[in-house]
Amino acid sequence: MENLSEKLKNEFKKDIEPIAGQDNLMIIKLNKKSLIKKLSWEIKRYFDLLYCLTVVDYAPVFELNYVFSNYRNNDVLVIKVNIDQKDFNIDSISDIFDSANWEEREAYDLFGIKFDGHPDLRRILLPEDWPGHPMKKSFKVDDEIRNWTGLDMKF
Amino acid sequence: MEDSNDFSYPGMYEIIFMKSQKFINAVLNWGRSNSLWPLTFGTSCCAIEMMTVGATKVDSDRLGVLFVGDSPRQSDLIMVSGTITKKMARRLLTVYEQMPDPKYVIAVGACNVSGGLYHDSYNTIEGIDRIMPVDVFIPGCPPRPEQFLDAVKVLQKLIRENKSKAQTHGKSI
Amino acid sequence: MEHKERIRLNIGPVHPAMHGVLKLILDVEEDTIVKAQTELGFLHRSSEKIAESRFFSNYYPIMDKLDYVSALNMEILYASTVEKAANIEIPARAIYMRTIMAEIQRIMSHLIFIGSFGEDIGNITGFIWALRERELLMNVVEKISGGRLAPMYMCNGGMFYDFPEGIDNEILNVLSTIENKVSHEYSAMFTKNQIFISRTKGIGVLTKDMIKKYGITGPIARASGIQRDLRKVSPYLAYDKVEFDVPVADAGDTYSRFIVRTKEILESIKIIRQCLKDIPPGPYKTVVPWVMRIPKKDTFVKQESPRGEMGIFLVTDGSDKPYRLKLRSPTFFALRALEELLVNIRVADAFAIVASMDPVMGEVDR
Repeated sequence: MENLSEKLKNEFKKDIEPIAGQDNLMIIKLNKKSLIKKLSWEIKRYFDLLYCLTVVDYAPVFELNYVFSNYRNNDVLVIKVNIDQKDFNIDSISDIFDSANWEEREAYDLFGIKFDGHPDLRRILLPEDWPGHPMKKSFKVDDEIRNWTGLDMKF
Repeated sequence: MEDSNDFSYPGMYEIIFMKSQKFINAVLNWGRSNSLWPLTFGTSCCAIEMMTVGATKVDSDRLGVLFVGDSPRQSDLIMVSGTITKKMARRLLTVYEQMPDPKYVIAVGACNVSGGLYHDSYNTIEGIDRIMPVDVFIPGCPPRPEQFLDAVKVLQKLIRENKSKAQTHGKSI
Repeated sequence: MEHKERIRLNIGPVHPAMHGVLKLILDVEEDTIVKAQTELGFLHRSSEKIAESRFFSNYYPIMDKLDYVSALNMEILYASTVEKAANIEIPARAIYMRTIMAEIQRIMSHLIFIGSFGEDIGNITGFIWALRERELLMNVVEKISGGRLAPMYMCNGGMFYDFPEGIDNEILNVLSTIENKVSHEYSAMFTKNQIFISRTKGIGVLTKDMIKKYGITGPIARASGIQRDLRKVSPYLAYDKVEFDVPVADAGDTYSRFIVRTKEILESIKIIRQCLKDIPPGPYKTVVPWVMRIPKKDTFVKQESPRGEMGIFLVTDGSDKPYRLKLRSPTFFALRALEELLVNIRVADAFAIVASMDPVMGEVDR
């Protein structure tokens, strides 16, 4: 873990800043979203899989939390990337970490984030013609959506 | 000249037909109520309790509820157990339409009664009576296996008294 | 070469041999699958969105229904997350009680797996037997918590009630029954059954590379020779104070996935026996207010659920409700392997493979 932290600091310098984590959890903030692919290649040497991808809606900024883990030990690395609502896309890392494939599809489904270079960016949980992206804070569950039975959807 | 031995009078055959039809209906309803073959439409938690209903301890076979075919074409009762989402709703209706008449519906669990725990979810249907007729509702989240048997008993009574939705609104003879 | 006709088979979401509401779209040539796709989302109940409108103490019922076959494990995971975020220490007795409940639930979950796996490959007797044994444990859980499938036993800071008097002996009796049946009786029905062996051995082999590629964890990974169990790697609850083995198989086929889960039942029985011996007296909960505020922070907790590594990413913002709660479900990753795993096998074997993944769609779709 420490090796990786040092190495990333040398490599990326100002673009990353470590945030205090818990015992086995390291949190690193990435300031430039365009560097996520390069960073993933570095992480790939230490971590086997993308454990989960959490999107948090601090509108107008959305924070992506990439959680990495490996099969050897208990280390967990969290990479935080902010993306803006006006520029709502980020490079897909599914060609580096294959386990990111469905997690990115889920983030696209529920939040509408476009992942550039994703091989198969379709909705995964909701039907293709579902209106809107429901996990955004701006999506309010009102009577209209609750009374809708969904029978008019094609998929 | 008319035969004097003919007891015919206007409307006699209709009366005989009506009387016998009532009798035939009673026999049919007795038969139907005692051999309810369910289609197990299990989507989530209630489906696990429904498995228990078919297994040894509760044993729904005693009431003629045999978990056999699992095909909509051979079932006359559909137990909708588990949350129905908006994506699932049309699939549920398709399966329901494939079943032969007369068909009966038991809505299992709080989700299918009124939305239950997921009443403020964006992707569930608050009660399947919004999309299809329901004969018996079982409350509970999830209901105990004994409640399934109770619901079957209630449904059998409804069928014998000609009060199920299929008999009062449907096309059944 | 003769041209074979290609047929598209839609299996599910309503299918007697399909677990829950998973849908498989199979392209079939004669009896061989040439392409497989999975479709999820038929049980997407928006558990994550609901969390944002519930108090921390009021979310337990939803966790129960998330993975409804192992409800107590889900409750313990959520309780641990909230307690870690709010810095609540739980008493020693509560830790042991939680360990016992988690392992009881693990046995019940694996029994359901044995039953439904038996049913899917045509072994109905196995299904009836497994549910019969599960009912014994159900009675125990009912006596302890008052609920069957969704017990609602955990709360922030511990449990709602203490164990009732004399439950130890009852648990031990039930455990010895189950141990006897699983280690002796079931082998006649499954592992010594020639039909079962020929339907499962060598079918659906997941290699180590595939496991790492797709990010699969839990018993499926252990069946492929990856020695990783969070109970050993990062012991939580009382797992560092008890002795147990992590069953591992090397073949990675459907048969070894079955064997690993069967052995895990026996290991869980060992854990419960040790915990019942060591359980200290004392309070069973730390009293915390029902409505509490947690300062702004991110918390990530992962635990070993019967299906693999389940995790919660909790983002709090100082209010009395979660700002964002993300559930990391293990089967969501495992099901992605089906698209590669189902290719070039027979249609009949597809059901055995899907059943060996032990998917619970409530947890996959969330």
